[in-house]
Amino acid sequence: MEETKKTNKKAVIGIAAVAALVVILAIVYVVFRQKPVEGSKAITITVVNKAAEETTYEVKTDAEYLRQAMEEAEGLTFSGAESEYGMMVDTVNGERADYNLDGAYWSFYINGEYCNYGIDTQPVADKDAFSICYTLAQ
Amino acid sequence: MAGGGSRTNIAVKDIALIGVMTAIIEVSKLALSFLPNVELVSFWIILFSIVFGWRIFFVVPVFVLIEGSIYGFGIWWVMYLYMWPLLAILARIFRRQTSVWFWSCLSGIFGLLFGLGCALPYVVIGTGKSGILGGLYAGFTWWVAGIPWDILHGVSNFVLMLALYKPMRSVMNRLRKQGIAAE
Repeated sequence: MEETKKTNKKAVIGIAAVAALVVILAIVYVVFRQKPVEGSKAITITVVNKAAEETTYEVKTDAEYLRQAMEEAEGLTFSGAESEYGMMVDTVNGERADYNLDGAYWSFYINGEYCNYGIDTQPVADKDAFSICYTLAQ
Repeated sequence: MAGGGSRTNIAVKDIALIGVMTAIIEVSKLALSFLPNVELVSFWIILFSIVFGWRIFFVVPVFVLIEGSIYGFGIWWVMYLYMWPLLAILARIFRRQTSVWFWSCLSGIFGLLFGLGCALPYVVIGTGKSGILGGLYAGFTWWVAGIPWDILHGVSNFVLMLALYKPMRSVMNRLRKQGIAAE
């Protein structure tokens, strides 16, 4: 009986000690963690779909490369196959461009010029205007 | 030499035992590597320190060396150089404790403070670059960013020790009685 009491007391002290430390750490985290700040670069990403309809996304970001900026654009969805050159985008906002099927692909432009890099390596600078256009091969 | 009773001479049986202990730690770590910050390394280091005594001070360096060989010798490896030996030393200091609650607490608190201990290299690097205040700030911000993972680490350490200490301790004691190792 006495032994059980002692064990229970140890259990309570043990759990309380660990729980107290968890609470202290949680408080330290909440008070001192790095707060997210609004991005320092203002860019636009315009999607031109198959029907030539334009949708523009204004993004404030600290992203170094286009992919992260696209991920941060609220409402913009995209997917594709990962390759050694990064993601090869084949679907934007649910619309798939299948080159094998009808010679269509998504082309990427920066400030009116064709992007020389994939989205994983295309640098992002303040005031850049990106376009993602559904394009048919000539 | 024979029997492994001497601290200056390591018997073949001790070397084999050190190898088995290292393998158990390494395999356990790999098996749980898909769960971030949930590990059995702390559990085994504590248990082996209690049951197999001084041999742990051979097991830990070998384990740390294997980790570096597998994953590369990054800054995290420097942290391993002192964090795991520290746990082994603590377990040796308190080796006469038999309460599962004590060991669960020790393991849990070690997990909770693991990030704080690991921040030391960042303090040193930061101090070299921008003085002691810069170093402390670098270490502090690094530690704070990882606190959620430390909490997961500490809680899982506590629970794993609570669940496994008694059954594994009785198995280890039985092995020792059969002459696997002497203190």
